[in-house]
Amino acid sequence: METEEALSEALEDSQDYKYGFVTDIETETFAKGLNEDVIRALSKKKNEPQFMLDFRLKAYAKWLTMEEPQWHNVKYPSIDYQNISYYSAPKKKKKLESLDEVDPELLRTFEKLGIPLDEQKRLSNVAVDAVFDSVSVATTHKKKLMEVGVIFCSISEAVHEFPELVEEYLGTVVPVGDNFYAALNSAVFTDGSFVYIPPGTRCPMDLSTYFRINTEETGQFERTLIICAEDSHVSYLEGCTAPQFDSNQLHAAVVELVTLDNAEIKYSTVQNWYAGDKETGRGGVYNFVTKRGKCVGDNSKISWTQVETGSAITWKYPSCILQGDNSVGEFYSVALTNGHMQADTGTKMIHIGKNTRSSIISKGISADQSSNCYRGQVKVGKNASGARNYSQCDSMLVGDKCSAHTFPYIESANSTMQVEHEASTSKISEEQLFYFEQRGISRENAITAVINGFCKDVFQQLPMEFAVEAQKLLTLKLEDSVG
Amino acid sequence: MTTTETANGPESAILDLFKKSQTENKSASPALKKFNQASLEKFETLKFPRRKHEMYTFVGTKELVDTKFTLTTPGAISKDSVDELIYSTSKKSRIVFVDGVYSEEFSDISGLGKGVSLTPLSKAIEQSEVSDYLLGTVTEENDVFAAINGAIVSEGQVLEIAENTQVTEPLQILYISSDTNSPVMHCPRVLIFARRSSSLNLVVKFAGEGSSNFVNAVQDLIVEENASVAYTQFQNDSAWHFSKLRATLNRDSRFLASNAMSGARLARCHYEMWLNEPGAELQLNNLSILEGKEQAHNYVQIHHKAEHCRSAQLFRNIVTDSSRSSIDGTVVVHPGAQLTSSDQLINNLMLSDDCRADNKPNLRIYADDVKCTHGATVGQLDIDQVFYLKTRGLSEKAARTLLTQSFAEILIQTSSSPQAAEDWRNVLLKKLGAK
Repeated sequence: METEEALSEALEDSQDYKYGFVTDIETETFAKGLNEDVIRALSKKKNEPQFMLDFRLKAYAKWLTMEEPQWHNVKYPSIDYQNISYYSAPKKKKKLESLDEVDPELLRTFEKLGIPLDEQKRLSNVAVDAVFDSVSVATTHKKKLMEVGVIFCSISEAVHEFPELVEEYLGTVVPVGDNFYAALNSAVFTDGSFVYIPPGTRCPMDLSTYFRINTEETGQFERTLIICAEDSHVSYLEGCTAPQFDSNQLHAAVVELVTLDNAEIKYSTVQNWYAGDKETGRGGVYNFVTKRGKCVGDNSKISWTQVETGSAITWKYPSCILQGDNSVGEFYSVALTNGHMQADTGTKMIHIGKNTRSSIISKGISADQSSNCYRGQVKVGKNASGARNYSQCDSMLVGDKCSAHTFPYIESANSTMQVEHEASTSKISEEQLFYFEQRGISRENAITAVINGFCKDVFQQLPMEFAVEAQKLLTLKLEDSVG
Repeated sequence: MTTTETANGPESAILDLFKKSQTENKSASPALKKFNQASLEKFETLKFPRRKHEMYTFVGTKELVDTKFTLTTPGAISKDSVDELIYSTSKKSRIVFVDGVYSEEFSDISGLGKGVSLTPLSKAIEQSEVSDYLLGTVTEENDVFAAINGAIVSEGQVLEIAENTQVTEPLQILYISSDTNSPVMHCPRVLIFARRSSSLNLVVKFAGEGSSNFVNAVQDLIVEENASVAYTQFQNDSAWHFSKLRATLNRDSRFLASNAMSGARLARCHYEMWLNEPGAELQLNNLSILEGKEQAHNYVQIHHKAEHCRSAQLFRNIVTDSSRSSIDGTVVVHPGAQLTSSDQLINNLMLSDDCRADNKPNLRIYADDVKCTHGATVGQLDIDQVFYLKTRGLSEKAARTLLTQSFAEILIQTSSSPQAAEDWRNVLLKKLGAK
């Protein structure tokens, strides 16, 4: 628990977006607009093999036939997809030998974000593939990972170096025409991360990528593909921060996870993008993300943990397709909205294999004039005998102008399965606060304690560093909201 | 009117029905015609659900929409078959609709005393209270089938329970369909006013053997200050059944509804509940027991508009063979509706591999000082319980039947009408016993 002074200091700091700065680097940016030529140019620029171009064009053709989804519970002015530049990369100089050659401005940005790129931070045992505005600039720990056979690189690199892996798996979990934003992403994605864990390997360290949106009005279309071969294991961390801009930025990422027999992927996210002006709701990132994992093999496991504290709009449903027998899907989420933020988030658990299990723990906190919505689907197919699901989604309201919604879809077509869903909505009770205050703990600190207690089930699932960061983030975010 | 003359789809079939009913009822009052017209316009904006529609997530309406229905005059129903369906306590307190049309012959409210009045809709709608209310519901209507009812209805009834009147005898409304060979649509409509401090025990039954009837009923209920209404409904018709119950609850009023669905080719009940003033209390229970290819769907919207209101819902479904059930229930706590308490629980028992049970318990909350919970479970009989009964000498089959029946019994006991509860047991539990 922080002291009063520290809290009031933090309060002052939090008036401005902590990571709200713009790095001034020359970037190479395509003219705005999207058509087939732009996609060809993009593919050519990245020197991609034919299969990638075909993939993009197929997605683009599909996208043209699709309509922007309207079913979600968020409102925003319609997006002009022709008013977005679909490629922006820091200007490539020459191949860099070491970090010293990287633009110091860029390095400073990373430092402000706390990305451990330099030597001393290397000791923290976190390999970082830093995506700076769409193109990977530096990859650390690569060698060390290569020794055990783990491939961790940018997806554009993977396209050149491991085309057979990319061709085999790309688009198998999220097909090109899956949804409007996924189709758009498939057509124009610029970069992202690629991970392959070979059979029988436990990845020796947590892998981590920091995303960063930099150039104004550049849509970010990240693509992540993680493949865990038989009997392997990886823990992947993703953290996001973005600078302060006054125009809405579209972010439509796609993340695909594949686990083969007995493999396990743990995917953790802390998201703290710019959420727009607190008073007026202007600006902020539109986060329309498709994340999905497929447990292809028997006894495999995919676990999603997310802490969503930023973005003007979050539209995100990390899902699991439990295809292999005995496979396990997990979803742990904390979504905090304040100001004018809107979040429509949740998960899908599709049970296909026998004895598949899934659990969903979702905690939503809404404050100020924000809207927080859990939307989840549990679908048990006809052949998924012995399937088991437990869902719990709790909402907490802070203030009387916010709203919280729950839309669980439970579809069951098998008589040997068990599904349970529970949800509750509450506020921080006066009795709880009174108890704290009576013991000499300030109201603010009491609220922090209650909120952290409310989210404990999820924080426990986060890797240590993330758990600390997440708790601090929540406290910072709620300071202005709780009277 | 913005009619699409060019469209030959199902929408234009409804338009034809509307024209037909308007010519047949030329002498109807202008107020009723205005209501029909407004409903038709609403229908034209709502249109039939196509592809994926959020309101019909689990309900396949294609076959229904593609069927061309006609309107007919009531078929022949014998007095005996009506009497059989009237509960013994309601011999002199009954309102009967035959094929969607009020039947003077079979109805009898002589046992209810002076405080209860029944007026044909076409006459009652001339009062501004009735017409304002009905036109208001059209504006807010979100159910396309209820809009169709409004466009076509001509023979509805308005029931009024006067202030401070306690109706002790259960009042039964029976909707009976005659067996027809061609697809026929029935649009019965009842509007009920339970005036200040009155009380009413209402029992509603939908019955009929026809395999191609489309019963498209709408019931409106206004429960005024401090009034209380107990409501028991039994859906036991066999073809298409769509019914909407809209209740408006005012200050300190109580509404206790228990419903049972026996399923049909496609049955869907839509409950739209408005807790408009502080202190209103709502209990909504529903039991569905389905077999064969029967379907029963529930769509529930509960609006908490005022402070200090309470709502509770309990749904239990037992699905066997290749039957389907679904519950799509939403509780909306509107801004300012502080100190709301709301519960919702859905339990499903799946007894075969081909059946389906879908659930969507939604919460939409715009106020912070509230207590709202919902829960949903889907599962089978507990093998430990079955084992326990077997150790006591029961056969596997008897043990399973006993456990399944007791799963349903909890809901049956919430019925405010012992006669209806007995009827449920006879019809619904028999289905389970035969398994």
